[in-house]
Amino acid sequence: MTNPSSPPVFQSSNPPIFHPSSLPVFQSSTLPPFQSSPLLFRRAFRISLQGIRIRLGRSMVTLSGVVLGIAFLMSTVTTQFINRAVAQEREARQQLNLMANVVRTQIGAIAGKTLAVAVCGALSPVESDLLDFLRAAQPAGLRIHGPAPEAPPSAFARGASAVLLLGDAPQCPVPLATLTEGMITRLVIDSRTDRACEPDATVRRETIFNRQVDDQREREAHRAAGERFRTLWIVLISLAVTVIGVANALLMSVTERFREIGTMKCLGALSSFIRRLFLIESALIGLAGSVLGVLAGTLMTMGVYGCIYGFALVFGTIAYGALALAGVAATLAGAVLAVLAALYPAHFASRMVPAAALRSTV
Amino acid sequence: MGDSETHALRGVTLDIRRGEYLSIMGPSGSGKSTFFNMIGGLDKPTSGKVYIDQVDIAQLDPYELAWLRCRKVGYVFQTFNLIQVMSCIENVMLPMAFAGKDSEEAREAAMRILERVGLAERALHKPAEMSGGQQQRVAVARALANAPDILLADEPTANLDLKTGHEIIELFCRLRDELGVTIISATHDLKMLKASDRICWIDDGRLERVSIPAELNIDVENVE
Repeated sequence: MTNPSSPPVFQSSNPPIFHPSSLPVFQSSTLPPFQSSPLLFRRAFRISLQGIRIRLGRSMVTLSGVVLGIAFLMSTVTTQFINRAVAQEREARQQLNLMANVVRTQIGAIAGKTLAVAVCGALSPVESDLLDFLRAAQPAGLRIHGPAPEAPPSAFARGASAVLLLGDAPQCPVPLATLTEGMITRLVIDSRTDRACEPDATVRRETIFNRQVDDQREREAHRAAGERFRTLWIVLISLAVTVIGVANALLMSVTERFREIGTMKCLGALSSFIRRLFLIESALIGLAGSVLGVLAGTLMTMGVYGCIYGFALVFGTIAYGALALAGVAATLAGAVLAVLAALYPAHFASRMVPAAALRSTV
Repeated sequence: MGDSETHALRGVTLDIRRGEYLSIMGPSGSGKSTFFNMIGGLDKPTSGKVYIDQVDIAQLDPYELAWLRCRKVGYVFQTFNLIQVMSCIENVMLPMAFAGKDSEEAREAAMRILERVGLAERALHKPAEMSGGQQQRVAVARALANAPDILLADEPTANLDLKTGHEIIELFCRLRDELGVTIISATHDLKMLKASDRICWIDDGRLERVSIPAELNIDVENVE
């Protein structure tokens, strides 16, 4: 101040009470905790909700982006569920026909004949269906042994036209000769080609499955793998488009709210509060959009396939538990993607300088 | 406490006393806004020091700056800047929420402040339902929410007519006298200049002079 070239210095008549060189009286470590209360989270939640309401039009556009993306995802998933269920149902019917045909080819009409069924191991659904089919065909007698590991009683098959060997046990517990004791024509119809049996020259063993079914199944599997890859690719693209759409809408929202954000910062909002505002808004939109998308995608797909395959088949065979699980997963995925999309816009908003609130034209 | 000394803009030194009503004048591009932002902790100086309450605000981290803006300084804007989606009382309670104050207690405090600016009966109205003068009074109430030592006002009467502008000036004088708040206001409004204790004239990044309203008549003639 003694230097004549220094700029003019204005001093008030009263000296300042403090001394500038003294230590700061507040520092991060000594500040009382602030902006961490649940109250503030509720406030941020309400501001976000009001923000959505006040900009309802744009929020709805953002929402519909999420709805479309998730609906597409869910429609793909549901299609796979339905196709799998319908294919299983078809294959079961096909196998049952095959089995019934083998039995009919070997013994002719079932009605009036006696059949012995030895069950070793657990029955497959198709084998249970076959039993039901045999019962319905009005045989004179249907002796069923098992499922049990021990051998059937002696002369179990006396007078029977054929012995059916069912179940998933890899090995026949008794020699075929013992099994067919007392039969006039010693015939065993086995549900498995690969079951180990002690053979006997006097016993004829027919198996139900043939190579054709296995080949067909293999071709199906190859085709399904290619299909799955294409579907996955399309789903990923649609989800990426959703994320970009949400991010774009939120960036616009941020630019529109520059002054509001600046004002909140002037009032003492931390950057994390501003960030939270946008993340909450996006999560809400993402959640609502996902729920709607899951419902729309699932119901529409089930409706369309119901018209093609018949409603009874589609609604009767689908695995509802797994489908519900997929729906919940898709909802969560939608919400998480929306929050991911909001990360950059929220960061952008939180970096705003408070002085922006003072600009009269933004 | 409540005083601040500012070294800003090309070696300018200025003390601002507690309970003082200071007006800042200057043409656009003069550095007035920068000066104003520095005092309020809205911007950090690239070099030099701004002390508020013995603290150099250039040394503060973002958390401490937010704390300062929340507790020490209240802001009043030219365009009011109320949060449109919130009612008056919610606007006043927002800085309290940032300060971590309990909801019920904050509501009562906000009501008392609204009474002080004469708008208690309109507490539940939205900003859009109010006149400019009323909105600005709500903005002043919001600035006072955490009992700051300093009230920063950026051309608070520029968007108001003469009568309501006068109300705001009277409110500022009352706050200074009753609460001892330091008021710093950037303005072109001659009535505001007259009401203030001191006037800083800023031009080309320099503090040209500091005058008191008694000298104002001559200055006004010069300006006109």
